[in-house]
Amino acid sequence: MNLRTQRKIINAIALVLSMSAMAFGLFWLVWILWMVIDLGVGALSFTLFTENTPPPGSAGGLKNAIVGSGIMVGLAMLLATPVAILAGIYLAEYGKRTVLGQVTRFVNDILLSAPSIVIGLFVYAIYVANVGKFSGMSGIVALALLVLPVVVRTTEDMLALVPNALREAAFALGAPKWKVILLITLRSAKTGVITGILLALARISGETAPLLFTALSNQFWSLDLSEPMANLPVTIYKFAMSPFADWQQLAWAGVFIITMGVLLLNILARVVFRQTKAQH
Amino acid sequence: MMPVEQTIHTLTPAISIRNLNFYYGKAIALKNINLDIIKGKVTAFIGPSGCGKSTLLRTINRMYDLYPGQRADGELLVGGVNILAKGVDTIALRAQVGMVFQKPTPFPMSIYDNIAFGVSMHEKLSRNQMDDRVEWALSKAALWDEVKDKLNKPGTGLSGGQQQRLCIARGVAVKPQVLLLDEPTSALDPISTMRIEELIHELKQEFTIAIVTHNMQQAARVSDYTAYMYLGEMVEYGNTDEIFIKPQDKRTEDYITGRMG
Repeated sequence: MNLRTQRKIINAIALVLSMSAMAFGLFWLVWILWMVIDLGVGALSFTLFTENTPPPGSAGGLKNAIVGSGIMVGLAMLLATPVAILAGIYLAEYGKRTVLGQVTRFVNDILLSAPSIVIGLFVYAIYVANVGKFSGMSGIVALALLVLPVVVRTTEDMLALVPNALREAAFALGAPKWKVILLITLRSAKTGVITGILLALARISGETAPLLFTALSNQFWSLDLSEPMANLPVTIYKFAMSPFADWQQLAWAGVFIITMGVLLLNILARVVFRQTKAQH
Repeated sequence: MMPVEQTIHTLTPAISIRNLNFYYGKAIALKNINLDIIKGKVTAFIGPSGCGKSTLLRTINRMYDLYPGQRADGELLVGGVNILAKGVDTIALRAQVGMVFQKPTPFPMSIYDNIAFGVSMHEKLSRNQMDDRVEWALSKAALWDEVKDKLNKPGTGLSGGQQQRLCIARGVAVKPQVLLLDEPTSALDPISTMRIEELIHELKQEFTIAIVTHNMQQAARVSDYTAYMYLGEMVEYGNTDEIFIKPQDKRTEDYITGRMG
């Protein structure tokens, strides 16, 4: 066998191996999606968005859970993102080699890999236990703590990818450091930073564990952040585990809404980026 | 070497360098450099890689400030002020001493904003004045005709040669006294290189130019004075013609005749 055929055989083997790995991964993904669509679409109805979670045996929807999730996820993002971006800027542009920077990066990495249930218990201990009741606000804090390390990390990584030559060019024109960061480096890394924010958003949209100990859930319509707040993940958890068929239906509808929401968010982000890139 | 120094000394320096040493941490990169960069002329710095020519250029606008562990001592006078002294306003310095780098580095913004960015750091201009300045700078860089209809398009969409001329326009727009060019054509094709060289001839009417280049023909073509550096030392400095036709130092001769470097 000459080298040429040998090379072709090795190439074919590598191709088959990587293709089957891809097929294996896709298989589960497609199965999950299929089940969500199959069981979710059947459970969809208009009343999902107009009625609150019902007691077993009566008709109802998921309005309070959808709105509660939206409020908590939205406010958690609002709370965590600015802090996280600023921290990421500090790590990439100011504290790269300083002791404080390295310690911050290390702690952030630990927080990044911390199981979400630990975050939930932490907020329970410092917030819920002290106030004496479950509340929407404590849920927001828990979710924000999950967003923080993801966005810090991606912001730092994306800023680190910006070539130093670009920074130098801006400095050489006599720009002060904060303007270089704001107008040049951050702008170059914009797409990556936004992707990190969306990743974090997708992650907390489905988190159940941290909300179990904080926002808990609410059978009724409530926008009061000091009261327990309804949300999709805990409602799904509660309804899916219940013995009642109509609750299980609603749980599937909830799963479908979360999955499609995250999917749409990703597609939207890609479309938006493609458009901004096309302008460039 | 003496007669050459005498002719240079009769001219007005834009930059005077006296007993300059430069260190990367503990390693010394420039050893006791003394030289005048003459106003309104093009001075080329040549020498093998690692000889310190880029380091010297980056000292003149204090670019090394960005990196901890890099430091310089001695005197470096720009407009009579020692810019190596403590408390020097590097932002004001960089308004006087512009720099263009090896690789084109357009900012992620429109062509117009690429030019306006540096100007807005130092001057408050009305929209009209800024429009004029952008046109002026792009014309100086021989780019205006090519981009006047797409000023709002991103600078990253231009070709490599155009991008480098955009970077030169960006530096020119601030109206510095000195332009430092750090191997400005090493990433460009021959035609773009030729255009940049023509540009250097134009620009020296108004600016003092210091250029680092690996291309000796380029140094011979564009510069009035040439400095040959080797291992962090200034080996020889004089009129470009004399350096290339009858170098005084054996090391210079070896380098320009291709026996070394």
